[in-house]
Amino acid sequence: MEISDENFRVWAEQNEVYFDGVFRLAGPDAYAPIYSLISGLLHGGHKQVTFNLTGLEFLNSSGINLLAKLTIEARKMDDLLLVVKGTHQYPWQAKSLPNLKKLHPLLDLRLA
Amino acid sequence: MRPTVYGVESLAGISLDSGTRLTLTDGPLQLGWKHSGMTSDFIAEVMALRYSGSRKGYMQAHHDIGYLSNELIENAVKFRQPGEILIEAGIFDGSFLIRVQNTIDGVTSARFQQLLHRLQSRDPGELLLEQIETNAISTASGSGLGLLTLLSDYDAKMAWAFEENEGERIILTTTAAVAMPPSSNP
Repeated sequence: MEISDENFRVWAEQNEVYFDGVFRLAGPDAYAPIYSLISGLLHGGHKQVTFNLTGLEFLNSSGINLLAKLTIEARKMDDLLLVVKGTHQYPWQAKSLPNLKKLHPLLDLRLA
Repeated sequence: MRPTVYGVESLAGISLDSGTRLTLTDGPLQLGWKHSGMTSDFIAEVMALRYSGSRKGYMQAHHDIGYLSNELIENAVKFRQPGEILIEAGIFDGSFLIRVQNTIDGVTSARFQQLLHRLQSRDPGELLLEQIETNAISTASGSGLGLLTLLSDYDAKMAWAFEENEGERIILTTTAAVAMPPSSNP
């Protein structure tokens, strides 16, 4: 399944969800379909789920809230390993992704 | 009447007259969400040019200017009363400065000032994590998360001035500054 508009695309392949482009939606309501898609994957019985953010150029604070909410959702599941792949190419990732690790210390944050 | 100021007071009074000035006007096309993205992209494109001598410096400047501008303009669009949004921006002494002015109603003003009170006595990084946890169990928006990320993750210096206008309306002026990388194209 895929959700997209002219600026971004988000889709899942097996247990990995890919984010691509610029996410600048207006708030929790606008992000709700994306939340549902990924929440479904988290509850899909996988041992490990990966958020691949290496194509995520820009994210507004409502988008950061979305990633944080999903991280908290994953934190509640004892037998699930959440991997977050990011890149130093987009400066927001090194600034804001370590917050996810503070929310969920067992999260495997890979910033390349 | 003197405005009520929160945050770094010296920022609130600084002149941005030599910067760039933009006005977003309510009109037949309406002032949309899209315009805040377009406007912040435009500001980042123009202001980051002087850093184009270094790829790393340019990426950093472009992103930080874009993120800061976008959050401030998104807030102005989201919480404004009908009317113009005035934006001033420029690079001054190695920092990017932006000032956004719009009108808000009394309820929004009271709620916002409450958040700023909390901010004064707390570490923004801690407040950010706390706010994220709160947001995770509620569906309310307007949580101040954008301002908290700016203060915590971008080390932004910020000032907010509230000035009573006519009746229930209040003029909110937000000024913010972030340090820029060393300029390679003086």
